[in-house]
Amino acid sequence: MSEEQATMQAGELAPPAELRTGFIHDVVGALGEPVLHVYREVRNILGLMLLTFFYTVFRRIGWSAVFEQAFNVGNRSLFFITVVLGFLGMILIFQSGFQAQKIVGDLQMLGALYVQMLFREFAPTITALMLATRVGTGIAAEIASMVVTEQVDALRMNNADPVQYLVVPRFIATLVMTVALSCVSLVVAFTSGMMLGWGAFGINPATFYNTALLEWGDLIIFLLKSTAYGIAVPIIAAEAGLSAFGGSEGVGWATTKSVVNASLAVTFLDFLLSGFGYVVLFS
Amino acid sequence: MSRLLAAIGARALSASTELGGMVIMLLHIFRGIFTWQMDVMETWRNLYKVGVKSFPIVVVTALLVGAIMVIQTGALVAQYDAYGLLGWGAGFATLREVGPIMIGLMFSGRVGANNTAELGTMKVTEQVDALRALAIDPMTYLLVPRFVSIVLMMFLLTIVGDLTALLGGALTAQLLLGVEPLLFFWSIDEYLLTEDLFNGLYKAFTFGFAIAVVSCHFGITTSGGAVGVGRAVNASVVASAVSIFVLDYLLTYLLG
Repeated sequence: MSEEQATMQAGELAPPAELRTGFIHDVVGALGEPVLHVYREVRNILGLMLLTFFYTVFRRIGWSAVFEQAFNVGNRSLFFITVVLGFLGMILIFQSGFQAQKIVGDLQMLGALYVQMLFREFAPTITALMLATRVGTGIAAEIASMVVTEQVDALRMNNADPVQYLVVPRFIATLVMTVALSCVSLVVAFTSGMMLGWGAFGINPATFYNTALLEWGDLIIFLLKSTAYGIAVPIIAAEAGLSAFGGSEGVGWATTKSVVNASLAVTFLDFLLSGFGYVVLFS
Repeated sequence: MSRLLAAIGARALSASTELGGMVIMLLHIFRGIFTWQMDVMETWRNLYKVGVKSFPIVVVTALLVGAIMVIQTGALVAQYDAYGLLGWGAGFATLREVGPIMIGLMFSGRVGANNTAELGTMKVTEQVDALRALAIDPMTYLLVPRFVSIVLMMFLLTIVGDLTALLGGALTAQLLLGVEPLLFFWSIDEYLLTEDLFNGLYKAFTFGFAIAVVSCHFGITTSGGAVGVGRAVNASVVASAVSIFVLDYLLTYLLG
């Protein structure tokens, strides 16, 4: 940790004059620095992930803490998720309905394509991005403020492992709630899209509700994506929180790091799993 | 029942307080801009910090977004064997909706959260009061430069992001679907209008505006030490995300 702290603080300052060794050195340094940074981040995150898995499987789980966190993550995010996904559903149908009217001139298949797109892409991914902003920053801020006020050190002093007591309950709660909220957001986005299709384009809800194009592969990709995001978001957020140092500045820095890393991870996993789905499931 | 009403009322009151605070802050910022009361050196530094430092993350996000949209459109296009429409489908979705939204969310995470954290730290460690004691107006020294650089850079980075997303899309189309880049770009050139591009850029401008106002407001009203900073950042990113989606709906409705 102290080595990392030193490199981070050194990164903010210009190197002293005797270390400046010309153009090539600068170019290699500029290329290598982000690579090393990403490598270190990924290593820390994967390490915490393995540790969390180990504690989840082999150690006692504090179930009351899990339920408390599940309430925090799930019920408290319900309103936020409903608002965002409701608007997203209306936006998507508005755009695609306009285009379909202009180019194809037929809105019969809009609902069927829309529900497939929700399963494959938008319901799990946008839900996970929203949870990365709301829940991820919450976890990071909470753990980071415990770290900088030395509460985590107090836990260690009482022979309580911070990963077991802080990370595992948040991890289980977020994993379960990401899948559950993805299902909720699927229903919300579909309903709001259906309402807009009815109001703006006069598509009968009975025509709009068309699951003819859905396959088992869509459900598999939906579950795969939401599970992967549910694992990634809490662990990345907890890693950002645990690596905080300094006072209130450290908390702010950890929270920023958490939302950036978690959103990037969601986008990257989305890319990987979409590619996997296209190559393996839908070809 | 009365508890429910009290909860609803408390929420409404706190929401109006936040909203009113933002509007008043916005008026002050506009007055600062139009009477040219901003610290030019500080604006320059912020433009670098906001724009150049978030360049890599925007490029990476945009590449992935372009690739994902091609994969998702590809499944449809392959069904009807209409490979000439791939560039149109992926490009339309990216330029109009998904590009600005994803870049906006990333930008809100990288820049908005950072801005709130910085302002919040300055507030809780009484550095803002110290500025006032030195007769430096926090409005012209802290808020106006940040506001200007966030709005400007969000707009400019979306232009970069749109281009990168199309390149990422072309690359994925070639590698995964075997569609020639020439056909991909022909399809974009043939079917997409400049209106589609500008539609997304108007949105990016509005999102930048929302992110700037929200992050500055939550940062400068932080209270309560380290815990308060964490809470302020959380509230700031949540409010930015909601305003991005709500504004997107309104703009989609208005611009058509």
